[in-house]
Amino acid sequence: MPDASNRSERSDLLQGTLDVLILKTLAAQAMHGWGIAQRIQQLSDDVLAVNQGSLYPALHRLEEKGWIAAEWGSSENNRRARYYTLTRAGRRQLADETESWERFAAAVGRVLAAT
Amino acid sequence: MFGRVLGTVRSVFSRGKMESDLDEELRFHLEREIEKNVRRGMSPENARTEALRLFGGLEKTKDEVREADRAVLLETVLQDIRYGARSLRKNPGYAAAAVLTLALGIGANTAIFSVVHGVLLQSLPYGGGDRLVRLRVDAPGAGIQDGRFAAPEINDIRALSRTVEGVVEYHSMFFVLLGGTEPQRVQTGVVSANYFDTLGVAPIVGRTFLPGEDKKGAEAVLVLSHPYWMRAFGGDPSVVGRVFTMNDRPHTVIGVLPPIPGYPEDNDVYMPVSACPFRSDPEMETNRQMGMMQAFGRLKPGVRFDAAKSDLASVAARMVHDHPSDYPESVHLTLLPVSLREELTRQARPTFLLLFGTVGLVLLLACANVANLSLARLVRREREMALRSALGAGRGRLTRQLLTESLLISLTGGLVGVGLAAAGRGLLVHFAKRFTPRAPEIAVDVPVLVFSLAVSIAVGVILGLLPALSSKRSLSASLTDGRDASGATPARLRVRNLLIASQVAISFVLLVGAGLMLRTLWKLSHVDTGFRTEHVLTARLSLNFTRYSKKEERLAFQDELLARMAHEPGVQSIALAGTFPLNEGGPANGQYDVEGRRAPSREQKPRADFQRVSAAYFTTIGVPVLRGRVLADTDRVEAPIVAVINDQMARHVWPGEDPIGKRIEIETDPGKMSPVEIVGIVGNVRQYAIADAPVDQVFLSIRQFPGLGTCLIRTDGDPKRLARVLRATVHTIGPEQPIDRIRTLDEVRAGALDTPRLTATLLLLFASLALTITATGIAGVIGFTVGQRRQEFGIRMALGARPSSVLAMVLGQGMRQVLIGLAIGIAVALAVSRLWASLLYEVSPTDPPTFLAVALILGAVAAIACLVPARRATAVDPMIALRSA
Repeated sequence: MPDASNRSERSDLLQGTLDVLILKTLAAQAMHGWGIAQRIQQLSDDVLAVNQGSLYPALHRLEEKGWIAAEWGSSENNRRARYYTLTRAGRRQLADETESWERFAAAVGRVLAAT
Repeated sequence: MFGRVLGTVRSVFSRGKMESDLDEELRFHLEREIEKNVRRGMSPENARTEALRLFGGLEKTKDEVREADRAVLLETVLQDIRYGARSLRKNPGYAAAAVLTLALGIGANTAIFSVVHGVLLQSLPYGGGDRLVRLRVDAPGAGIQDGRFAAPEINDIRALSRTVEGVVEYHSMFFVLLGGTEPQRVQTGVVSANYFDTLGVAPIVGRTFLPGEDKKGAEAVLVLSHPYWMRAFGGDPSVVGRVFTMNDRPHTVIGVLPPIPGYPEDNDVYMPVSACPFRSDPEMETNRQMGMMQAFGRLKPGVRFDAAKSDLASVAARMVHDHPSDYPESVHLTLLPVSLREELTRQARPTFLLLFGTVGLVLLLACANVANLSLARLVRREREMALRSALGAGRGRLTRQLLTESLLISLTGGLVGVGLAAAGRGLLVHFAKRFTPRAPEIAVDVPVLVFSLAVSIAVGVILGLLPALSSKRSLSASLTDGRDASGATPARLRVRNLLIASQVAISFVLLVGAGLMLRTLWKLSHVDTGFRTEHVLTARLSLNFTRYSKKEERLAFQDELLARMAHEPGVQSIALAGTFPLNEGGPANGQYDVEGRRAPSREQKPRADFQRVSAAYFTTIGVPVLRGRVLADTDRVEAPIVAVINDQMARHVWPGEDPIGKRIEIETDPGKMSPVEIVGIVGNVRQYAIADAPVDQVFLSIRQFPGLGTCLIRTDGDPKRLARVLRATVHTIGPEQPIDRIRTLDEVRAGALDTPRLTATLLLLFASLALTITATGIAGVIGFTVGQRRQEFGIRMALGARPSSVLAMVLGQGMRQVLIGLAIGIAVALAVSRLWASLLYEVSPTDPPTFLAVALILGAVAAIACLVPARRATAVDPMIALRSA
């Protein structure tokens, strides 16, 4: 029921932002939670620090929505780690969210430029 | 299969797994963070502290994740419910059929469970609970089975038993209660003062008996039973303190009992032993031969039943040792504890368990039908499921959605079912009353509701998981598959065929059960009872013994009643008797000696059923006189004693001889044997139960042994018209003489069949329900298959197949499952037949005609159920079917 499920997080920009960042990060390759946090921090030049307290709830939420899937694999140093991958639905969601984020950012930019 | 069930269940309910996963995942994160810090040059200790600081606490994070999971779960559950409700609303036919089918199934189970729970499962409604026992005495050597106790025997048990406490005595008699609007015959329980303390029954108004109120010289007091209080005094609490006259002395009402089982008898009032004119005879206290009481007690705390058994055995041994003249070795006196719970439910158990099994099977059928419906519906929804799967819904999520829908259906069905069961409570209590005094305890209460809820949830879960189990293929695969190749996956087809076959098998078993009960009922209602029931009025007329304590007084009353009534218009003949065939009450067993062959000891004397009747008794109830004469008005108290015997006794005691003119000896007064001459032989009657073969009977003259029990009148027309006249006449002769239970003999006989009739009716009801469910199930499956194969039929007919051969093909495929089901059903019915053997009369549990008839009926119904949808197959227009392909 994708129709009903989008409603709640549109109102919550920050949560929605973390969601789209996670989806984006996973678009390139499968990753474990720690890797996702490092990757976001790295790509944002340390501007965005991901708090674990919000990362894992977000991962569970996204998994439940069916946008990402999780499975156990072994990490770089051969330890068991939970890897997340983007599903087809997740890829489509990423495209939608990217587009709406760009529209939003552009709109905010225009407003700020005008003043 | 089992592994898959587990896997599916786990995917939906895997809380524990998720917890450990989360723990491991977070630990991994923390360790990586520490490693990173170490790489940046921190000491391991600092690295750890820093990582933990950033992390903000492991448990806190876990909580946040759990919180998020819960929110998501709640949201999806609500979503599933909304979506499920919408999807069911869009398909009201399916929803209504499924809800109704389950409502009938769950309703039937709730109803019967309320009976099983109320009567068989819950503890006794006595404070003494399940430790209460009835004490049983047997003396097989003297032909005494489950005999009565004499007062000194009960005192012995009180004194000697180390395992049973609170031993109390009980017997029941009727007395006449005066002081109300008209004289009332009240059944009176005569008990020890601590009787209700032992049972653990507290009064709802006033008090019960105090210690000492059963001692000689105590004021006479009465406690009212709840039903009598409601019936006679409209539940008025101010009845406490009122004084009534019984047995020529004042009795004060001191209290009212709560509703408890009418056990051992349905007593109207209770009095202490000192108030009973018979029991207070001083002779009673010492004479061990004057047994008339039952005894109850409570196992002491911690005492096991077996211990009580051996303890009572040693009490019996001690009694035999101390009183050798009362208990000669040869009588084998034994004492036994009998669990009161067992006692109250023994008769009900087989019937109720049979019914419980029956409704369980009906529920299985209902589930099979709904499973069929939802499988068919699922095929139509396969694309919807595939689409949602493609949109990212995981398999667990889809399964949960289906589960939610089936739970919605089963819980709605359960709710309606509970309503049905609650509405039927009155009928069930009425039914159960014939088996157990615990019937009024039947209620749709909390445990019953919990049962129904559990059944509804179980049904919903099974039906919801079934679709997921019946197809191995992933749901998303069906989207790439293109057209509806999905409907007929071999696995699903197998499941459906299995459902048909098992439905037929279950229906067969249920129908056989109902059929056997119907045959039993038919046999019972065609038993020749030996008497004619039509146009006969009966009335209970027990003489108030304090008013008519002398033989002459009783005789005078009898003669006057006969004389007055004989000339009333409409009366063909009138008779008085102690009792009459199929009336309530137990056998009147007595011993006698045949003159010339006296038995060497008391216990070896032959036994017969002794009845006291007036001259016109045999004419009135239409028993033929085979030889000799009947009793006559001239057989008076002072004349030689004569008797009429039945054919059974004539053949049994005097085989090949003419009994007329022979003599027997009976004990007419304590210790006094009197000769009795046989003057006539009458036909056999079924005296105590229609199913019981006739026993030896001796009929004595009620003029030689006066004492009334009943009055019988054969009439010209409707017997009930004479009821008023009879009542008025009785009250003219004896204004304080109660007369009640006025019924026709037809009613009495019909009443004797109430129990098997009700059982048969219930079984037939459930079996018909099963047959209907099965027929609709078969029609549904065949109809669905026909719909799926429209094109195939079109092609066949385009290629020249005749409609009749297509019809035969569809019918053949359906009937194959039906025949398999019948074969299984026959095998199962043969295997379980002994379960209902105890309920049958002169019908074998494997009665071939019943099996054959049921097989034919079930086969015919199934064939029609196949035929109706199969005809649609022949109506396919080849061109349309091909084009729509």
